[in-house]
Amino acid sequence: MDMVMLLQVLVNAILLGGMYAIISVGLNLIFGVLKVINFAHGELIMLGMYVSYWLAFLYGLNPYLTLPITAITLFVIGVCIERVLIKPLLNAPPINQLLTTAALILVIQNLALILWRADYRGITVRMPLITLGPVFISATRFIAFAGGIAASLILYYLLMKTDVGIRIRAVAQDPEVSQLLGVNVPRIQTITFGLGALLAGVSGSLMIPIFMVNPTVGGSFGLIAWVIIVLGGLGSFTGALIGSFVVGFIEAFIGVLISLEIARAVAFLAFILILLFKPAGILGERARV
Amino acid sequence: MFSTSNLKYLIPFLVVLYSLPLIPQPPYIMHVIVVTMLWAYLATAWSILGCFAGQLSLGHAAFFGIGAYSSYFLTTWYNVPPILSLVVGGSLASAISIGIGYPCFRYGLRGVYFTLATIAFAEILKDIFIYLRDITGGSLGVWLPMAQEGIVNLYFINKEPYYYIITTMWLSLILILSAARRFKDYLIAIREDEDVAASVGINVTKYKLVALLISSYFTGLGGAFYLYYFRYINPYITFGLDTSLQMVLLSIFGGMYSLWGPFIGSVILTPIGEYLRIVLGGAYVGSHLVIYGVLLIIVIRFLPKGVVGTLKLVYDKFVVRAGGYAVKRSESF
Repeated sequence: MDMVMLLQVLVNAILLGGMYAIISVGLNLIFGVLKVINFAHGELIMLGMYVSYWLAFLYGLNPYLTLPITAITLFVIGVCIERVLIKPLLNAPPINQLLTTAALILVIQNLALILWRADYRGITVRMPLITLGPVFISATRFIAFAGGIAASLILYYLLMKTDVGIRIRAVAQDPEVSQLLGVNVPRIQTITFGLGALLAGVSGSLMIPIFMVNPTVGGSFGLIAWVIIVLGGLGSFTGALIGSFVVGFIEAFIGVLISLEIARAVAFLAFILILLFKPAGILGERARV
Repeated sequence: MFSTSNLKYLIPFLVVLYSLPLIPQPPYIMHVIVVTMLWAYLATAWSILGCFAGQLSLGHAAFFGIGAYSSYFLTTWYNVPPILSLVVGGSLASAISIGIGYPCFRYGLRGVYFTLATIAFAEILKDIFIYLRDITGGSLGVWLPMAQEGIVNLYFINKEPYYYIITTMWLSLILILSAARRFKDYLIAIREDEDVAASVGINVTKYKLVALLISSYFTGLGGAFYLYYFRYINPYITFGLDTSLQMVLLSIFGGMYSLWGPFIGSVILTPIGEYLRIVLGGAYVGSHLVIYGVLLIIVIRFLPKGVVGTLKLVYDKFVVRAGGYAVKRSESF
């Protein structure tokens, strides 16, 4: 691998990391606050991609302009899922939550298959290729990267500085005490799940110019998101960011050196090893949201 | 092994089960029956680890796939008679299960974290099998060539022989599990509380590992049977999350805590799925999976004991009224 190639792969790894940040940040928020195993996060991303795709395809909108509508749609879907499926299971064994959301995968995936068929659909956006010396940067990927970082920062600000954010963090730390202090815990949980789904929608909008969408596309996104947040230490905000870039580097480098399948396998292997030997994540301590 | 009262019901049941193919049926119906038995068998194999030992694996597709692919290689490369490679496939699946089971149980990976690790394990194998295109045929999968009809080649024109084979496989599994009373008790103790089980001297790691070995062996056999029945496999079918989910779903739907649960689950759900696939399949691919998903969500929420468990409860409540009352009283103290 010569120097130019190395630089190129390095840039790709960073861009991929930013994209993974936005895939995983919503899932991490949901797990951090509700402590619920949401297995269907990838399917929410897939729905986000479809919403953007159809808005762009039917009304000729620029996919990036569909972002607010997609985000709001997914927020509403998230709120409905939380109200109907998740809330009754919040105190049930984690296995029941996992199985319910796994069943939700079947439902969403196959509804999408019935409605939109198995065809791969994509939208191409005409964008200049950014050249940085010898290195090429795809504009769509750069926007997804920037969007991922921006969304993470906005979420961070929201959690740290706003009233709702403080309540969300309080519920993440201790739902019972928060309830005693007058926080409407069920409401905050619903809002949090909605926010997580909203972030999935945002990532869908940012990715539809890059990846084709089909009903099964969510599976790999959802699993990768789980790998990332476990690597980072479940519920840890900075951990998930670092986890995103770790997985981004693994995929970019091994993807070029060997193949994309092996890159995925290595990411999953790292995931199992972290679960076994460092269950609190690579950061080591549980830095809460 | 069985109490006489059980035997009274078991023998007529077996007679019905084994004489089912004597009723002339169109091949498609026979196919649905074979698939139903295959899933009943696989869900029962899953339930050894998933229900009795309470280790909810969502990676059993890994063992299913190992069984299927290793049988394929043995048959096509080394000309091993299929009836033999079936058994070897199961053993290989069992051997490979140590690779995930030992570290997980040794380092105390419990509950959801074990589940996540098993999913990742199956995904790793899937990716490797897709990557090794030259050997495994990659995503396109592999076909088993035609062979001479007969039990040695596990190749039959009619579907009835497959039915007898898979039914016998399922029955032997049920018989083995009913005989291994003490083993089952150990597993249930581990499921209810690992720490308490360990404190009364049960070697938790060992028994969990044995449960996994047995469970993956039979799952591997099932995978090999799948290969010889359908004669086509690819990494997505064999190692996919859907395959693992199906085993879990049928067990939970039928009833987690009963040997008959997975069978009942498959008998109810598999024909519905196959029917919907045929009736709605052309226009609405995947509609049967939507219904599976909705059913699973409903069962987990409202009938966590599954169909068999709920029927038992109803039976206790209305038929054995006095007994049911006594149990209620003692529970409330």
